Amino acid sequence: MTLPPLAAPLQGHGWGMPHDASLDGWRIDELINVTSVFVIILFFIMVAWMLTAVFRHGRSHTAKYDHGDTRRSIAVALGIAVAIFFVVDGHLFINSVLVWQRIFGNFAWAEAQPQAVRIEVNAHQWAWAIRYAGPDGKFGTPDDIVTLNDVVVPQGAPVIFQVASVDVIHSFNIPNMRMKIDAVPGMVNRVWFTPKETGQFDIGCAQHCGANHYKMRGVLTVLPPADFARWYRDASANSARAWDPDDKDAQWAWDWQKHARI
Amino acid sequence: MGVGLAEARENLMEATAYDDIQPIHPEPTSFWRRYVFSMDHKVIAKQFLWAGLLFLLVGGALAMMIRWQWAYPGRAVPLIGSIFLRGQGGAIGPATYMTVFTMHGLIMIFFAITPILIGAFGNYCIPLMIGARDMAFPFLNMASFWTFAISLVLVICSFFGQLGAAGAGWTTYPPLSTNIGTPGSGQTFMVAAIFVTGVSTIMGGINYVTTVIRHRAPGMTWMRMPLTVWGLWLTAVLNVLFVPVLGSAALLLFLDRVFGTQFFIAGAASVRGGGDPILFQHLFWIFGHPEVYILILPAWGIVNDLLSFFARKPANWYRGSVYAMCTVTVMSAIVYGHHMFMTGMNPMLGQSFMLLTLIISVPAEILFLNWLRTIWNGSIRTEPPMLFALGMVFVFGMGGLTGLYLGATATDIYLHDTMFVVGHFHLTMAAASFFGSLAAIYHWFPKMFGRKMNPRLSKLHFWWTIVFMTLLFTGQLIAGYAGQNRRLYNPYEYDFLKHLLPLNRYTSWSAFILMAGQFVFVWNFIHSLVAGEKAEANPWQVGTLEWTIPSPPPHHNYDVIPAVLRGPHEFANPEVREKLGRDWIGQSEELAGSEPGAAAAVARA
Repeated sequence: MTLPPLAAPLQGHGWGMPHDASLDGWRIDELINVTSVFVIILFFIMVAWMLTAVFRHGRSHTAKYDHGDTRRSIAVALGIAVAIFFVVDGHLFINSVLVWQRIFGNFAWAEAQPQAVRIEVNAHQWAWAIRYAGPDGKFGTPDDIVTLNDVVVPQGAPVIFQVASVDVIHSFNIPNMRMKIDAVPGMVNRVWFTPKETGQFDIGCAQHCGANHYKMRGVLTVLPPADFARWYRDASANSARAWDPDDKDAQWAWDWQKHARI
Repeated sequence: MGVGLAEARENLMEATAYDDIQPIHPEPTSFWRRYVFSMDHKVIAKQFLWAGLLFLLVGGALAMMIRWQWAYPGRAVPLIGSIFLRGQGGAIGPATYMTVFTMHGLIMIFFAITPILIGAFGNYCIPLMIGARDMAFPFLNMASFWTFAISLVLVICSFFGQLGAAGAGWTTYPPLSTNIGTPGSGQTFMVAAIFVTGVSTIMGGINYVTTVIRHRAPGMTWMRMPLTVWGLWLTAVLNVLFVPVLGSAALLLFLDRVFGTQFFIAGAASVRGGGDPILFQHLFWIFGHPEVYILILPAWGIVNDLLSFFARKPANWYRGSVYAMCTVTVMSAIVYGHHMFMTGMNPMLGQSFMLLTLIISVPAEILFLNWLRTIWNGSIRTEPPMLFALGMVFVFGMGGLTGLYLGATATDIYLHDTMFVVGHFHLTMAAASFFGSLAAIYHWFPKMFGRKMNPRLSKLHFWWTIVFMTLLFTGQLIAGYAGQNRRLYNPYEYDFLKHLLPLNRYTSWSAFILMAGQFVFVWNFIHSLVAGEKAEANPWQVGTLEWTIPSPPPHHNYDVIPAVLRGPHEFANPEVREKLGRDWIGQSEELAGSEPGAAAAVARA
């Protein structure tokens, strides 16, 4: 395989979210940040209210005989609760629904793109087995590219993963791409994203899967499209040469599920 | 209610005179009957309290081991390491580490917070606060504790299981929790312990539900019950409804582990189709999400009462709080899907669960607003129970706000299974119920043990705890926001997390200092128990029924079952101030000249 030399996976810095290298990750980031503004405002109102109450309405203050159950008082409480619900929760809800419909759940669009890359991921304790269909476009044939913990994708093209597991539940997680999906034995899950930047990024396991859960690390390499095409051709030729028809264990694959459950 | 029905009810009340269904039993004299196999709800409450506090300490020590590993990965653990980890040179290995966080979670939830809030204060407060002489089923109550004790033995056995204690996480997801992932007997013991403690909880739940329905004193209508009782009652309802679901999941998992069934096994290890690992998650979270309300409802009720008691002001919109808690109870089981957004759930289903999850925040907001408005314009006494109640409001506020991100399907993609989730549920479930428990302990200690706790040490304990607990869980939130996945033995294996070591170390030191501060409480608790100042009947000057009888109460609680005239929060009433010269009045206390005929209406024949 002729991988151009690249820097080590991106180191994190500061206490913020890891660098977003995907085309659509900003939608999640922005939703988190806008919600944070609301949350921080509400938090400071709460703290200010409590401090004022404790310091101003202390032992020397005469308590007011008020059950707070007048029509007006109840209306104020309901009004505040409903206003918070419609503004904060409503914003979160509508944007979540939209972003799922348009992007994260829109597999029809991703599948329809001619440059889309399809990858099967079969997780097991404690590694990610990766499979590309090769030039013939069919999974489970001798020209399939098979790697371990090593995902290579082109910059700017939708990358669709179908994820399963052999043994226990894992979760295929690329924080820099704002992407995560559980790998569940007995079913095939889907996820997709578009890498925006070239470079190397960590792939992690997000679901506790045993003692070496923390070592279930893979690497995502995003190459410029031309480099990716060269890598794909070479890797496929190598795989075809190394193909052993008797090695049944190495021949895991499933037909690409165009209309998977989600 | 029609006139005929009301009449029939009144006749029924007269027919079953309160003394007939609750006769005074003589106090048992033998040691065994009095302190060990006791059927007295007050003794059983103390048994649960001791067991819970002991296991709280064990769970805390396990938490310190997790924090140590993240601050100093692979280094020998001081103190604990040289005793329990001698085989590994005092350091925590990856296999040990997974048993440590698994046991921490399970012990804290099922064997520390549950026995303290529900076992101890459910038992202690319900009969006393509704004016009953004991639980409806005293024998069942005793059986509940001793069943719980069996489950504690199973937990201890788990630590000595071959291949170590349970290690599949507190959520116990199969196939990891089957023989595929955790073949040792430690996991089997723990699954059995969950089942057995579930049996104990159901026994207790049935008892609480029945007691509140049947044994309320005359005049103690539903809308005059202290909110503590409301919280505990709703928790009991949830326990009776949903712990059986957990029990069934645990039983099927036990069969998978021990008898080779394949309910939850799929993939390479399954034969002839196998089962469905996701089925377990549905069963688990149908219980698991109500469980977070099971743990927090008693704390909500207790804190709501205490805020009113120590602000010397009626609880704001009492009925609103009751309706809010009831709404949360009803909705608790239909929001659970937000724990499973990443399992490949259909996006439409995910959206439905997201909407329900966001809707459940409305009653929670109503409740929260009621707390804030209760303390406004009060005359706040910053006694230790009040400080802990305010602390609970603070940490629960933080927990509730951080939950927003996790209830939405888009933001959850990034935050799911990160330390952000850990920080969030520790703020709501751990910190809030911990503060609720401590508020309850400081409030009812004089009644339970007849002695007062040292107020200076209590306040020191509060400030120590609130500062370092906030730092600790905020540190977890920040680590999660930066992308650190939970349950990683060594997060720094990942390049994008390497820079979080200083943050984690800082968070860990908050945890260590927090833990050290708890020994102030241990000392205060034990010292006050033997040498504390004697408590009078009503040291806090509040009106709920338990404060009308001596501290500690006699075996049968009430010589004469009280007739209740009003709600629990009659503070700052100008009429009372004028006639009695104080700012509170008891729930069963007659105020001469007012409420004509009220006493007669509830008086027994």
